[in-house]
Amino acid sequence: MNSIFFLIPIAVGLAAVFLVLFLKAVKDGQFDDLDDPPKRILKDD
Amino acid sequence: MGPAPAEPDRPKEAPPPVATSRCPHCGTAVEGDEDAFCCAGCEMAWSIIRGAGLERYYAEREAFAPRPEPLAGGWDALPVEPDEGGLCEIRLAVDGLRCASCVWVAENVLQRTLGVTEATISYATGRATLRWDPGRVRLGELAGRIAALGYRPRLLGEEVKPDRDLLLRLGVAAFAAANVMMYAAALYAGWFGGMEARFVALFQWMSLALATPVALWSAAPFFAGAWAGLRNGVLHMDVPIALAVLVLYVQGVGGTLVGAHTYLDSLTMLVALLLAGRVLESRGRRRAAEAAVTLAATLPATARRVRRGAVETVASSELAAGDRVVCGAGEELPADGVVVDGEGAVRLALLTGESAPVSVGQGERVWAGTLVVDGGLTVEVTEAAEETVIHRMAEELRAAADRGTRPSSTDRIAPWFTGATLAVAGGTFLAWLFVAGAEAALSATVAVLVVACPCALALSRPLAAAAGLGAAARRGLLFRSADALLELADIDLVALDKTGTVTAGALDVVGAGDTDLRIAAGLERYSLHPVAVAVVREAAARGIALPAAADVHEEPGVGISGVVDGRRWRIRSGGAGVIVLDGEGGHRGLIRLGDSVRPDSADAVRRLRGLGVDVALLTGDHPEAAARIAAGAGIDEVLARVGPEEKAAWVRERRDQGRRVLFAGDGLNDGPALAVADVGMAMRTGAASSILTADGVLVAGSLLPLSTGIHASRACLRAVRWNQGRSVVYNVLAVTAAAAGWVSPLVAAVLMPISSALVVWGASRVEAAVRRIEGRAAV
Repeated sequence: MNSIFFLIPIAVGLAAVFLVLFLKAVKDGQFDDLDDPPKRILKDD
Repeated sequence: MGPAPAEPDRPKEAPPPVATSRCPHCGTAVEGDEDAFCCAGCEMAWSIIRGAGLERYYAEREAFAPRPEPLAGGWDALPVEPDEGGLCEIRLAVDGLRCASCVWVAENVLQRTLGVTEATISYATGRATLRWDPGRVRLGELAGRIAALGYRPRLLGEEVKPDRDLLLRLGVAAFAAANVMMYAAALYAGWFGGMEARFVALFQWMSLALATPVALWSAAPFFAGAWAGLRNGVLHMDVPIALAVLVLYVQGVGGTLVGAHTYLDSLTMLVALLLAGRVLESRGRRRAAEAAVTLAATLPATARRVRRGAVETVASSELAAGDRVVCGAGEELPADGVVVDGEGAVRLALLTGESAPVSVGQGERVWAGTLVVDGGLTVEVTEAAEETVIHRMAEELRAAADRGTRPSSTDRIAPWFTGATLAVAGGTFLAWLFVAGAEAALSATVAVLVVACPCALALSRPLAAAAGLGAAARRGLLFRSADALLELADIDLVALDKTGTVTAGALDVVGAGDTDLRIAAGLERYSLHPVAVAVVREAAARGIALPAAADVHEEPGVGISGVVDGRRWRIRSGGAGVIVLDGEGGHRGLIRLGDSVRPDSADAVRRLRGLGVDVALLTGDHPEAAARIAAGAGIDEVLARVGPEEKAAWVRERRDQGRRVLFAGDGLNDGPALAVADVGMAMRTGAASSILTADGVLVAGSLLPLSTGIHASRACLRAVRWNQGRSVVYNVLAVTAAAAGWVSPLVAAVLMPISSALVVWGASRVEAAVRRIEGRAAV
């Protein structure tokens, strides 16, 4: 059961990687407009 | 590909006397050859699109393009400053985009214009972002190119930056909540099965580590809101939320240190859910704020000033009293003044709401923002820029709009909720202090504060409102706040402005015979005069093919003449609102111009009646015109020839009688009434609309969404009330149990997830209720 002392921080660390990716995506403006891009892909350029 | 199909058989109907075809750009019926254009504007649009190599547009589009109309000037005088790179950027609204191909063609035409570095248009919102090099192209040219394709560029209202901050805070809170919930599950399991103290400590310290940024950073907006409220002496919903977060966190720190049970899972979940509610709500509100059109759009930015016999173009803001400006048909006056030369017809709709053009001549007063419909005027400026009547009215409206928002129903409950919680907590502490001492008193008090967590109460409104705002937005109703949407449920009287609300607000043909109209439209098809545009539009609407006209002469301010069907015709003005068609050999026809009822207004009024709502018409126009429109729309109660203040007084009077009034109108003159009404709805039509004081906007140019909005609002309100009622009952029961000392960590372990589940279930009920209405409306 002692492994849990390693596994919990590893799990949190993994989750934190995804959190950082999400925060980066928000800061890049990927969540600013959720309505338009899905319609845009229907129109190839 | 198989072999080319044989030429399909022509329909067996009687052939029309003259071959007709459709204008390749806008689809108006035209007599004569294949591929004949209805007007110069469409031919120009077609050649621009061809010139840019974008002919694919015509094959792929799902709807005909709007007919290009001339664009009012003034774009070049907009204060757009270049950035460090020497490039200018602006965001515009573009109206008239009917399909994805419209967006594609407009975007590409702009991108292929020399000097443009970036041009993107959003199909969902109709917003364009332009970046260009001011040394190589002017904004006026770009706006002109959009207009030349048939779309209408408009200035945007306040620009609302998407709220990234809230989303970042939500991300952190959701991350923490997901992890802390897992530890909590382990701890609850350990409660039954027994768990070694070191594992309990591990889970508790991990929970604390993850909950700390949530309590200190993610929840900061609630603390800021609560603090701002307390300083102003208001106990709104942020206060109990901040209190709950504070109590849960302090208890969590203390509990972790001494190894007692903590409620950090509830804390992180609470903050994450509340932030999610806020994100949803703010997305709905952003659309409404962006729909607001600033008043700047109603005043032309440039003026043509006469100096020493020469005409120069200057910014309207540079005009001063004593200057002389010239203004031709189709232009808006840049300043208040007196006509010193020329005569013409002006439309005062913006100021008075009257739709029929008024003739003005030498010595008469005219106002900035009024449209010259016919003729040409030289005006001596008496008041310019900030002194103009329109500008002062706008300032008053802006001040009224800033006067603050109404408290929501949850904000009204919040003080009672907070007061009751604190009272019970205080009572519990005192009672237990006397019965069992300080330690038991403290633990019972904390239990009370913990279970009194206002999660369900605080969430019920944002979640319901977000669903309601979304449903309303899909049907063309945008609201500035969720409260305005919820107010809609209780409305029992709808007061409508005439011009631009019940009617389309544009100059329209209201009376003409088909024969006269056909001849007139043939003569006018190449003219860009507002009257000509109205005549051709009506002919197209009646399905009349435009005849070919030869030898057409247009004399500005006088009329137009030419040969149609071998006869010479002449069109001239016959006084305000009438044009006369004289034919060689003595024919005389009259075409009446005015404002016509929107095609779906009568249906909208009938639906409102069906909901038990009374409808009234308020207008500054003549009683006869008002009666005509009211009859067309099926409205009984009419109040004609009333000014802006009288409209507001009427609304106020009805409100004092206990009625709940919705006022819908466009234009500056409706501002006071929009501000006074329980719900003010502005129309997003043209540049003249000013929705500074309105609670919402009707985007679709139709009154039909009003009744759907009332349906959606009633469903939302039912859901909110049900949620609030349930959360109050839950809290009373839970707090009683906590005060009695029955809430052990085990009971909390059961109660907390139930509370969260009920919140989510409540939200899904709202979703379902809104869908039910959508289903009913779709039938």
